[in-house]
Amino acid sequence: MRVNHVKGFKRRVGQVLGLGASLLAIGLSGCATPPPKSDTADYQAYQQLNDPIEPTNRVFFRVNNTLDKYAMKPVAKGYVAITTQPIRTHVGYFADNINEPARTVNFMLSGLPTDAGTSLMRFLINSTIGIGGIFDPASALGYKETDTDFGLTLAVWGFQSGPYLYLPVFGPSGLRDFWQYPVQWFATPMELAPENAALDDFGYAEGGLRLINTRAAYLDTIDQINATALDPYATFRSLYRQSRDSQLQLIKQNDLHGVNGAPGTPYYAQ
Amino acid sequence: MHFRRFILGAAMAAPILGIMASAAPAQAITATDAQSFINQSGQELVGIVNGNGSAADKATQLRTLVNQIVAVNQVGDYVLGRYINIATPAQHDKFQQLFHQLLSYNITYQIKAYQGISFSVNGAKPQGNGILVDTTINTPGKAPADVGWEVEEIGGKPQITDVIVAGTSMCITTRNDYASVITDNGGNVSALLNAMQNQIQKASDNE
Repeated sequence: MRVNHVKGFKRRVGQVLGLGASLLAIGLSGCATPPPKSDTADYQAYQQLNDPIEPTNRVFFRVNNTLDKYAMKPVAKGYVAITTQPIRTHVGYFADNINEPARTVNFMLSGLPTDAGTSLMRFLINSTIGIGGIFDPASALGYKETDTDFGLTLAVWGFQSGPYLYLPVFGPSGLRDFWQYPVQWFATPMELAPENAALDDFGYAEGGLRLINTRAAYLDTIDQINATALDPYATFRSLYRQSRDSQLQLIKQNDLHGVNGAPGTPYYAQ
Repeated sequence: MHFRRFILGAAMAAPILGIMASAAPAQAITATDAQSFINQSGQELVGIVNGNGSAADKATQLRTLVNQIVAVNQVGDYVLGRYINIATPAQHDKFQQLFHQLLSYNITYQIKAYQGISFSVNGAKPQGNGILVDTTINTPGKAPADVGWEVEEIGGKPQITDVIVAGTSMCITTRNDYASVITDNGGNVSALLNAMQNQIQKASDNE
């Protein structure tokens, strides 16, 4: 059993490194042409945009949109048709609770004791009184959610967001934020437990449900952006960056003043 | 001695304070005023959306309301950003005209989705040049959404200058969207005007 666990871990590390390497290779193959340095305003704007592999990113953007059109969106619409908002809210709570230990670790790594304590309390309360995380009594007790991930931990450490990356399947990201995926993968309780087929299946089911539940929450928003934006790619890039900045601000603010000073309520339960 | 210094200091500072007071008329709006402005505008908006009129009637009423409560010209200029210096006066006028039209379309696009909408004002705090009013919008069958409204006093009356959802500003997002169209077309403002025109055409075909 132990050997299997280690083998599984090694395989996963290999997969993650492989994905990283292929991303880098793809990224290097399609670069945007920067404007001449003599054109100061244009050059500054290009630097500020920090999207050197824009042509490649746009290809993945189109790929993901096609995937979304034929797979994710229809499934999410079907899901909305057979569920009610309260069900979707509780599914959101459940998925959030599973990710809570990873948040605690990230807050500890970030040196944010209040956020880390709140996150730990949330996991303890919601996993027990909240019946395995289906309910969120922790919020009512004053331990409101603050979201984080390893990308934001790196941000707290002082890493800049770096060039923008649009990842296949995962969507908007960046050179710094990319690292949240491998770290998050290893930091869920399912991955930390010994290798077990039932647990693996649970992990896949939970991951799939979380994906659909999140997509369902954004059905109208994404439709609206695609219908009203002149360049949806640039619009999503802008929204992603603003949203990451605001998350980082919220994390720091909540650690300083406590969540009750400025509640970081999740999108589906505000 | 201390008192004399204080009096002298106060006498010297008085004119400076006077200048400062007259130089900051943009921040004249108070949090209470901004809050009641958003409350009132919101009630009107909800009244139109949930009213009995036909879809076309509602769209016309919404357009009128939006032009009253949103600082469309100021927002348009912000969205055009640095290209305002590159655009010819004719292009700038055309941009403003198209921007007004697009904003109306984008708002009426959402009428159907907002049936049965209600909202509550949670509070207000100073932000930038104005006041940010925090509201929660409830739509039946959907999760409630937190929306912030930036209000400034423009031309002697309160006006909405930005909408903030989940930490993202609508002005900044649109500015980046439009800038991308211009840079992708060799820095030509005319490309943006064409794209806006096409979008309006698409929207009116769908109506």
